[in-house]
Amino acid sequence: MANDKLQIKKLHALSSENRKFTFSLPLKHSIRIGKRDYEVKLKSDEKLGPYILWKNRKYPVEIVRSRQNKYEILFNDISYTFTVETPFSLQRKIVLDSKRGKVEQEFIKAPMPGKIIDVLVREGATVLRGEPVVILEAMKMQNEILSPVNGVIMKVYARANTNVMKDDLLIEIKVS
Amino acid sequence: MKIKRILIANRGEIAVRIMKTARLMNIETVAIKTAVEPNAMYLSSADVIFDNTEDVSEIPVFLDIEKLIAIALKTNANALHPGYGFLAENAYFAQKCIDSKIIFIGPSPDAIYKMGNKTIARKIALASGIPMAMGSEGNIANEEEAVLIAEKIGYPVIIKAASGGGGRGMRIVRKSDEMEKLFIIASKEAEKSFNDPSVFIEKYIENPKHIEFQILGDTKGNVIHLGERECSIQRKHQKLIEEAPSCALDDNLREKMGTMAVQIAKAVDYYSAGTVEFLLDSDKKFYFMEMNTRIQVEHPVTEIITGIDLIEQQIRIANGEELKYRQSDIKLSGWAFECRINAEDVQAGFAPDPGKIISLNMPSDACVRVDTGVQAGSSIVASYDSMIAKLIVKGKDRKDALKNCKMALDKVWIKGTKTTLPFFRMLVRHPKFQDGSFTTAFIEKDLEKFYFNSEYEEMLAAWLATKLFIEENLTDESINIDFEHGKEMSPWLLNKRINQF
Repeated sequence: MANDKLQIKKLHALSSENRKFTFSLPLKHSIRIGKRDYEVKLKSDEKLGPYILWKNRKYPVEIVRSRQNKYEILFNDISYTFTVETPFSLQRKIVLDSKRGKVEQEFIKAPMPGKIIDVLVREGATVLRGEPVVILEAMKMQNEILSPVNGVIMKVYARANTNVMKDDLLIEIKVS
Repeated sequence: MKIKRILIANRGEIAVRIMKTARLMNIETVAIKTAVEPNAMYLSSADVIFDNTEDVSEIPVFLDIEKLIAIALKTNANALHPGYGFLAENAYFAQKCIDSKIIFIGPSPDAIYKMGNKTIARKIALASGIPMAMGSEGNIANEEEAVLIAEKIGYPVIIKAASGGGGRGMRIVRKSDEMEKLFIIASKEAEKSFNDPSVFIEKYIENPKHIEFQILGDTKGNVIHLGERECSIQRKHQKLIEEAPSCALDDNLREKMGTMAVQIAKAVDYYSAGTVEFLLDSDKKFYFMEMNTRIQVEHPVTEIITGIDLIEQQIRIANGEELKYRQSDIKLSGWAFECRINAEDVQAGFAPDPGKIISLNMPSDACVRVDTGVQAGSSIVASYDSMIAKLIVKGKDRKDALKNCKMALDKVWIKGTKTTLPFFRMLVRHPKFQDGSFTTAFIEKDLEKFYFNSEYEEMLAAWLATKLFIEENLTDESINIDFEHGKEMSPWLLNKRINQF
């Protein structure tokens, strides 16, 4: 009865903040809170689009991205990212994560599309946490991009008067 | 009525708003169709559409003085409304309109110029006996001078653009070694935004409330105020929610501040609608900040509590009519909030999130007014501001209005871009917002989380992710799981690998 052993009994949805939500299979259309099961309905309305009905309230939902086992979901206008893991893949992930070393580099990326107005640091310079490193103009506002760490500037990718897309690499910092 | 046809030198919700009142007054309107937004909603409110889609110029038409004048003349518009932003506070533009026999619906070029230049405005306020924060006499030449003056008035100080507004060219400096960097940033930003690098310095008032008075003046010299708005909830000097009246003012203080606001308006022979902004500190001392010589984004909250249509008043005043209200006719009743729903990602530090609005559903309750320039299918384009809609909610008092606001926020459904809705849903539940003790430092100091989600929302989202995963991968509960890079891998193999580590 090898087939029985292959049966997956539950799935874990792991949030980007490492919170784990476990659901047993087959997936029930209800969630247990305390001693009561509350029905969850995934529905769609011509005018409102897809929504989840829960405890007599409608919550708008949207699938922003799904890649392999990674899902970004917009639920009531807030986005959540989950990786859905089987008990096996979860165990593997834990082992892999523990083998990975401590992060020593910090990559500063453009938080939004815009234009680089000024680069305030040079390669080799020391920066403190909270210090502005780049000025990015987007939608009529000039935004100071701050260093999230104390460290030394390894590489400056940002160039003044150039346009950048969201998530473009601006600065690489060696954390000290 | 002299005014027969108004060219709307603006776009978005304010264009829609102006045209709505013009229609009620039987005045025709002209809207400009641009290549950036050829299907914009405001175009459907206009009587005449001027097609400017073939314009290949670098600068937007709403900033092009010569072209706007030419369009007004070509379309036989004998008046022009500038809305807010763009050229609304450009004295040269107002003068050009007058020179071309086009009625400019706004104050005189002289008043725009004087109040637009913050150093001149400071001098006028000082001469009129308006309380003000200590500051530099005029503009500051360089960072050395800035350090000297800051030391004299004491840190913290704020650097402001002389021609500024809206937070651009503004920086708070807390100690002298920050001055050089911040002075340069502020000056550069001022030059880029306002074509004028000059900046001045003021004592920075810590944790104040932002209180502004709505002014109405006519060309006969009558000036009244329509009470205050509180706009303390700001992020980087951008207002997020406004309310009228303010719970920080009693009748006594309202009269005192209102009188001062009228006084400074009279000092520049002000007519049309305008706003005098003050900072109010924790000792209830107030300081003149600046005067805005335009209709403001947050004007609807004043309209709700006074019952006066401010656009109508602007048009009547521009038409040469005398104000039909005296100060004693102005009675404030009820309470109103305005939430600026923007296409911004609250979870990513309010980063703009331009895109196409797929669906837009707003509440239709009697206590709700929605001012918007977008509908389903519209795009929020990166070249303009990120506003989707203003959700204006009233109640009989603050508590009632807040309750209605909470209800209305849950009824707004916008799909297509991320919005500031989760921020407002958090705000209306925050004890400091509820009790009115918030200041302009609220977002920076009092908030740990910028959005609201109820206890089980993340769990429900996790359930949905799991459901999607099952539908995509576990057909008939078997195990065709796409683990990495599209390769099929059996859990047995995976397990073996784990054991090898």
